[in-house]
Amino acid sequence: MGSAKVKVDKGLYEKVKKYAGLAGYSSPAEFVAHCLEKEIATLEESDSEEEIKKKLKGLGYIS
Amino acid sequence: MSQSGKSRPFSRREFLKFGAAAATAAGLGGAKAFVPKVYGRGRATQKVIVIGMDGLDHGLFGRWVESGTLPTFEKILRAGGDFRPLGTSIPPQSPVAWSNFITGTDPGGHGIYDFLTRDPKTYIPEFSATETDAARRTLRIGNTVLPLSGGRVRNLRGGRAFWQVLEDHDVPATVIRIPSNYPPVPTRQLTLSGMNTPDIKGSYGIFNYYTNEPRGLVEEAGGGGRVHEVYVIGNRVEGKLPGPNNSFRADGPEMEIDFKVFIDPVNPVAKVVIQGREFILKEKEWSGWQRVSFGLFPTQSVGGICLFYLKEVRPKFKLYVSPIHIDPGRPALPISTPDSYARELERRFGPFFTKGLPADTAALDNDVLDEEEFLRQDDLVLQESLELMDYELSRFDEGLLFYYFSSTDQRQHMFWRLIDPGHPAYDPELAARYGGVIKNVYVAMDRALDRVMKNVDKDTLLLVMSDHGFNPFRRGFNLNTWLMQSGYHRLARPWQQAESSFFDNTDWSKTRAYGVGLNGLYINERGREREGVVGPGAEKANLVREIAAKLEGVVDPVTGEHPVLHAYVAGDVYHGAYLDRAPDIVLGFNRGYRISWQSPLGGFPKEVLENNTRKWSGDHMGSPDVIPGVVLANRAIRSGAPALYDLTATVLDVFGINKSPDMIGTTIL
Repeated sequence: MGSAKVKVDKGLYEKVKKYAGLAGYSSPAEFVAHCLEKEIATLEESDSEEEIKKKLKGLGYIS
Repeated sequence: MSQSGKSRPFSRREFLKFGAAAATAAGLGGAKAFVPKVYGRGRATQKVIVIGMDGLDHGLFGRWVESGTLPTFEKILRAGGDFRPLGTSIPPQSPVAWSNFITGTDPGGHGIYDFLTRDPKTYIPEFSATETDAARRTLRIGNTVLPLSGGRVRNLRGGRAFWQVLEDHDVPATVIRIPSNYPPVPTRQLTLSGMNTPDIKGSYGIFNYYTNEPRGLVEEAGGGGRVHEVYVIGNRVEGKLPGPNNSFRADGPEMEIDFKVFIDPVNPVAKVVIQGREFILKEKEWSGWQRVSFGLFPTQSVGGICLFYLKEVRPKFKLYVSPIHIDPGRPALPISTPDSYARELERRFGPFFTKGLPADTAALDNDVLDEEEFLRQDDLVLQESLELMDYELSRFDEGLLFYYFSSTDQRQHMFWRLIDPGHPAYDPELAARYGGVIKNVYVAMDRALDRVMKNVDKDTLLLVMSDHGFNPFRRGFNLNTWLMQSGYHRLARPWQQAESSFFDNTDWSKTRAYGVGLNGLYINERGREREGVVGPGAEKANLVREIAAKLEGVVDPVTGEHPVLHAYVAGDVYHGAYLDRAPDIVLGFNRGYRISWQSPLGGFPKEVLENNTRKWSGDHMGSPDVIPGVVLANRAIRSGAPALYDLTATVLDVFGINKSPDMIGTTIL
């Protein structure tokens, strides 16, 4: 499987490194890839989730 | 888009061909048509009237009976009647509790454990009561999608309803608005659906609010509503009323109806013009039901009914429009058995509310309606309910009549803060004005019962019952936050904890448990959940016991109390064919506590415990022993500790019908 590089600023990379370790990822790259996958999944599903949320909220018990 | 109003009504069958697609229909079912059987109803010598008063609390009820506040109840007791605390369900949520009564089982026997469940393959919360299948095959022509096979909506409650059992024995029954009966199960009995019946958008109720007040200009009003920014130009306001999504169009756009409001330049009065009709409202006046029609296709439309309320004309313009109910005169979705019953009632009474729980608690909770306005709306609901009850009582002469009232539940949810000085949302000024609301609704129920008693003779068993009691909701418990802090749930991006919802920030590969719904906790079980990590069998059982013990040990640092009184392990408390749907642990909260606002949908607020400062201030998610309901009979009750499923056995016993093997109750008389 091929790979590609993405530039991020140094300050952000330091944070990525720090939290990748704290969160138990084996490397900053794994952490970043996981974050991006999740974010994309969220975007792809956002419409239907929002729709569900609106319907559920009408219950009154949930905000 | 604007609609001409010339389309012919869209029949239920045609509508359901679209299934869920018509977003209107999300959570709706019933493509399986009721099978009309033409045979005579048997004649029963005994009669039973059951009046359901949602959330009638045993503690408050007993206090007010004792003080002479409830004369009709008192009269029944003096004449040989009896009342007891009524054991509610685990958990004491209305759909669960009413299902216990409907089927004579516990959730293991009917499969409804919470308002919400989740799809273990996606972890997404979803309604537990209904399921909608979209049309499986469609044909696309340009921007239009035509269904080639029907979708359908299904009532997911298992077990048989007691009125179906009565039907087997030719005992006629009329069952009005019992919760957890949407879509109504097939029967030749007369039934009208209640709680869980959606609005025309397929939701539990979304209001619309039109204003030029800047502070109100947010798209979502915090749940249950939508705020529209409008402009007053030359005493004229234009608005759009949103309806269901149009599944005939490939992109499924939301349909809209244009309307105009003409404001009197001098007086606080306005004229609303919508779909060629017009009506005049004074400031602070409700419109009565207005029919609206959304055109799906050049020759097809879906009808609804809604209330307009002119809250303010000047200095700011404020117009509230209630959620759009399914029109009972031409129901696009199944709301009664037979189908014609809703239409028959509509012909007699005109339009009436059809959405489950019609009082708009969301509008009050979000300051769109104030206390007075909310009560006025719920008074309309109560008045409609009483008129329909009188009608059904007047023609009741055999079998069983069940009738349901929601106002007790809804008013206790919204006004408990004003009888509880220890509540974070207590307001002494409001308490002085509205501190009597809850007592007054108990009195209103007493008066309703007086109307019932005119139809109770010596052969009639009268049962008054509630599904659960009530208690204050002062503090919210963030179950998912607690799971995270306790090492059972892992976030992928811990720094985004507070923004998480729908488990969009969960690292499932390192998560062992999660909370969904108002009382449920699930283990992330291998083979069941998509990314399950906990092995079934001993590994899971040990983890369940460990988490349950820890939950019961949690102490609120502010009050010193245990928020979770009992953490019920599913296998210990449920029986029946639907155990596989159960959460692994069901939380029974202590008095004053409930699940937080955000945890049920997979949110992770910062704190484990938080004050509830909202108007929604009374609730019933507690341990069943904390909030029993009430059962009252016009005969002696021999059972010392009756429960909901015992009432089912009682009803069948009166008619000499043996309960089925899955029913777990016994008669209380």
